[in-house]
Amino acid sequence: MPATRPSDPFRPAFRGAIRRPLIAIAVLAFLLSACGSAATARPTTPPDATGSLLPPETATPPANPSAAGSAAAYPLTLTDDEGTAVTLKAAPAKIASLTPATTEILFALGVGDRVVGKVEDFTPYPPEVTKVPDVAKFGSVDVEQIVALGADVVIAGGNSFNPPDKIVQLRRLGVPVLVEYAPDIAGVLKDIELTGDAVGKPTEARDLTASMRAAFDQVQAATTDTPKPRVFYELDATQKIYTAADNSFLAEMITLAGGDPITTGSTTNFEIPLEKLVTADPELILLGDAAYGATADTVAKRNGWTGMTAVKNGAIVAVDDVLVSRPGPRLVDGLRALALAIHPDAAVPAPSRAAPDSSASTAP
Amino acid sequence: MVRAATAEDGLAARRSATRALIGRPQGRVAILALAGVIALVVALVLGVALGTVAIAPGDTLAILVHRLTGLDVGGTWTSATETIVWELRLPRVLTAMTVGAGLAVAGATFQGLLRNPLADPYVLGTASGAALGAAIAVVIPFRATILGFGLVQVLAFGGALGAVFTVYRLSRINGLSPLTSLLLTGYAVGSLLAAGLAMAMYLSGAALRQIFAYLLGGFDTAGWSQLGVTLPIVVVGSGLILLRARSLDGLLLGEEAAVHLGVNVRKERAILLALASLVTAAAVAVSGLIGFVGLVVPHVVRLVVGPGARRVLPLSALGGAGLLAFADLAARLLGEIPVGVVTAVIGAPFFLSLLRRTRTGYEL
Amino acid sequence: MIELRGVTVAYRGRPVVRDIDLVIGAGERVALIGPNGAGKSTLLRAMTGLVRPVAGEVRLDGRLIETLDRGTIARRLAVVPQQAALPFATRVEEVVALGRLPHEDPIRGARPADRAATAAAVERVGLGHLLGRDARELSLGERQLVLLALAVAQAAPILLLDEPTVHLDLRHQVGAMELLVDLNERDGTAIVAVLHDLGLASLFFERLVLIDRGRLVADGTPAEVLTDVRIRDVFGVDPTIVRRVAPTLPLESGA
Repeated sequence: MPATRPSDPFRPAFRGAIRRPLIAIAVLAFLLSACGSAATARPTTPPDATGSLLPPETATPPANPSAAGSAAAYPLTLTDDEGTAVTLKAAPAKIASLTPATTEILFALGVGDRVVGKVEDFTPYPPEVTKVPDVAKFGSVDVEQIVALGADVVIAGGNSFNPPDKIVQLRRLGVPVLVEYAPDIAGVLKDIELTGDAVGKPTEARDLTASMRAAFDQVQAATTDTPKPRVFYELDATQKIYTAADNSFLAEMITLAGGDPITTGSTTNFEIPLEKLVTADPELILLGDAAYGATADTVAKRNGWTGMTAVKNGAIVAVDDVLVSRPGPRLVDGLRALALAIHPDAAVPAPSRAAPDSSASTAP
Repeated sequence: MVRAATAEDGLAARRSATRALIGRPQGRVAILALAGVIALVVALVLGVALGTVAIAPGDTLAILVHRLTGLDVGGTWTSATETIVWELRLPRVLTAMTVGAGLAVAGATFQGLLRNPLADPYVLGTASGAALGAAIAVVIPFRATILGFGLVQVLAFGGALGAVFTVYRLSRINGLSPLTSLLLTGYAVGSLLAAGLAMAMYLSGAALRQIFAYLLGGFDTAGWSQLGVTLPIVVVGSGLILLRARSLDGLLLGEEAAVHLGVNVRKERAILLALASLVTAAAVAVSGLIGFVGLVVPHVVRLVVGPGARRVLPLSALGGAGLLAFADLAARLLGEIPVGVVTAVIGAPFFLSLLRRTRTGYEL
Repeated sequence: MIELRGVTVAYRGRPVVRDIDLVIGAGERVALIGPNGAGKSTLLRAMTGLVRPVAGEVRLDGRLIETLDRGTIARRLAVVPQQAALPFATRVEEVVALGRLPHEDPIRGARPADRAATAAAVERVGLGHLLGRDARELSLGERQLVLLALAVAQAAPILLLDEPTVHLDLRHQVGAMELLVDLNERDGTAIVAVLHDLGLASLFFERLVLIDRGRLVADGTPAEVLTDVRIRDVFGVDPTIVRRVAPTLPLESGA
C-alpha cells in the first residue's frame, strides 16, 4: 500500500567496512522495487477471467457449503489463499486484522466490534477503526500484543504483505491465521466471502459481494462502448517511475474503467523506463501519488514529459490511490473514481466517500 | 641487558619483583567477568519483564518458577500471559544471548586467525553466503521446515558454510601467502555472492521485504525449537575453539612464529576456521545478519585484559551475549527497529570512548 | 642434535641451498655467515623444518624432522622470530610469555613455573624497564630484544637466530652476544645464529660456517674460515679493509 510508505522500516544498518558493498547493493535493489513491494495488489498469476473481466457466476451460492447460512457450523475448516487449511473451533469473538482491507471488510460485515487489533492505517476507514489498537505495522507484527489480546483468529495479508515468519510464529503459538491475497478483482470478492465465512457472516458477505459485482457491471456497461484512451497510472515518480505491471490488479481496474493501461511490459516489475513511457505516449495521466505531492504542475515540469499528449492537453488527474488499490469493499468507489477520471461523462454514480457501498454496512 | 656476571642472589631478588609484574592483574579479569555475568542476568530479567504488553513482575517470576520447577505457585495469570513470557520473551532473550556469544567468539577467532583487527565473523563470505541462501529460499516457490527451521534459515546456514568452504578451497590454489589469499578470496567470493543476492532481490517482488528483514537481523520470531538447535552448536563450537586458545595465542606473532611455538598452523587454521564458521552460520541462520558485535566486543575485551585468547574468548562470549540481549531489548521497546542499528548505536560510542581513553595508543 | 645430510632446498624450482652437510652438536655455538642471498636464512629454515628440502634429510636428535610434531620440535628448538607485526596491543611480558606456549598445559594455560620462566627471561635479557608497555610502540631494537627474551623463555636446548643484532646499538649488540655466550656456556644451549657482522661472529663464536651461493664453502674456527682469499672471493671486499673495520677478525695464519 502506498499509504504505508512513510513507515518503511528499511534503513541500512552499520555492517562493518567489509560488507558495505553488500548493503549498498541491498539498498539499491530495495529502492528499485520499493513501490512494487508496497502495493498490496500484486500479480502472481494472470486473472483467470480476463475476457469478461468479472467471473460469470454472479450471485452463485456460497463457495464453501459448510459455511452456508448465517449460523455457520464450527469447528470450521477453511482453506486460505495460500492453500493452508485453517480450523476455527468457534465463531471468532476476537479478531486481529493485519491488512487495512481486511479491517474495512470486517467493519462492512458488521463485526467491527469484534476486531481487537488491526494493522496501522494512515487512511483509516470507517472512522470507528481508529478506536482499535494497532498490533502491526508495515513489515512488522506485534505477536506479543496479539497473544495478550487473546485473538482467536488472525487475518493476515499474503504475498509477504505481513512477514511470513510472523504468520508461522502465530500458528506455532496455536493462533489460527487466515492468509488472504487477491491477485485480481475476483480474488477480492473471494476474500470478502472467505472473511465472511470465517467470522460467521457468510450471507452478509455474499450480499456485499453481489452488490459489488452489480456496481462493477454497471461501470463496465457504462464504459464498454467508449473510446479507450491510453492511461498512465502513476504510483510514484520521485526517483524512478512506477506504474501498473502487466495483468496486475491495477491494470485490470483501469481496463474495467474504460481505459487502455500503459503497463511495464512485465508481470513482476512495476518500474517503467521514461523512454518507454514517452513512446507509449499517454493520453491521460492519473496521479495515484497525489497524496504525496504530485500535481499536474509538477508533472508538466519534469524533463522529457512535456511531449506527451496528456501533458500537452493538461489531461492530468489526481485520484485517491487508497480507493483504487485497497482490495476491500470500497473498491467499487475506486473503480467509479477511475471511470469518471477517464470518462467524465460516463453514466456512473459518483464515488460515495461517506460510507462503504454495502448493504451490510450498519454495525449491530 | 643483564650481563652473565650478575650475581645469582641479586638476580633472584629482581626476578621475583619482575614476576609480580608478569601477566595482567587477575583482578581485572575477575571484575570484567563479574560485570559480564551481572549484565547478563539484568538483561535476562529485563528481557523477560519488558515488552509491548505490560506484565506484572510478580507474574513473570511466578510463571518462570512454575515452568522451570513444575511447582504450583498458585498464580493467577492468564494463559496469554504465560505464552508471552514462556513462548515469546524467554526464548527470544536466550536466542539473542546465544547469537551474541557466538558472534563475539567467532569474531575474536577470525581476528586472531587472520591477524586482522578489522576481521569480523562475516569476513570470509559468511554474510553474503547466508544472505544469498536466505534470498534464494524466499524467492523459490518451495517451503519446507527442518528441525523447526524454515527454508530461509536452513539455506542461510548452508550458504554461510558453503561460502567459507569455497573461499578456503579457492584460497589454497593461488600463490599468495595464506592470510592475504584468504582475505582477498573472501572479498572476491563475497562480492560475487552479493551480486547474486542483488539479482535475487531484484527478482523477489513483494518478498523483497522478507529478504531485507533477514539482512537487517532480529530475534522477533525466536522460539524454543530453533534455540534447541542453535544453542548446542554455538556452545560446543565455542568450547572447542576455547580448547585451541593456545593456537590463537601462537598466531599473535605470525604464522611462522606460531609454527616455532609448536602450533601446527595449517591444521589449526583449518579447524578454527571451520569451528568459527560453524558458530557464525548457526548464529546468522537464526538471527539474520547482525553487525558490530563480532567486530567490537573482542576489541573491547582485549583493551581490558590483553590479547590472550584464554581470557578474550570467554569474556567476549559474555560481552557479546550481554550486548545483544540489551540491543534486542532496546530494539523491541523502540518498536521492533533492526537490532543491527541498535548494536551500532550502543557499541560505536562506547568503543570510541574506550579508544580515546586508552593511553597505550591502541591501533586498529 | 641437528643433522643435515645432502640438503637441497628450492623455491619454485630454483635451488637456493645445495647439497649441504652440516652437523650441529649439543652445546655448540655456531655462526652462519655469508653474503646476502647466499642461502643462510633458508638453511636455518630447513633446520627448523619450516621448509622441506627437495633432496637430502634433516634430523633433529636423530629423527627425521618432518616426522616430529611441531610441539615436540618447539620444546627442543627455539627460534627467535623475525620482526612480526602484532595485530593487537600486546604488552612486552605477554609477548615474552608466548615462549612458554610449547610447555603450557593445553587446557589451563600458563602455570606458575611458566610465569617464573617468563620472569626469568625478562630479567636475563634486561627488559624490566619495558614491562607493561605495548610491544608495538617499542623501537625496532627493543622489539628485537623482546623476541630474544621470548626464545629464552622457550628454554629449548637449541636456539636458532636469524640476524639477531641488525637493529641493535653497539652496546646491545655486545650485550646480546654475551647473552648467547652465557646461554651456551652456563645452560649448555646450542646456538646457531645467522650473522652479517664478521667481527661479532669471530669474536663470540668458536665455529663459523660460511655459505656462498647456496653451498657450504667452509666450516671451522674463525681463523680457518675467514682467510683473505675467501673474504675477497666470497664477499668481494678487500680483506685489509675488512680487517681495519673489524679488527677482531683473526689474523690469517701465515700472514
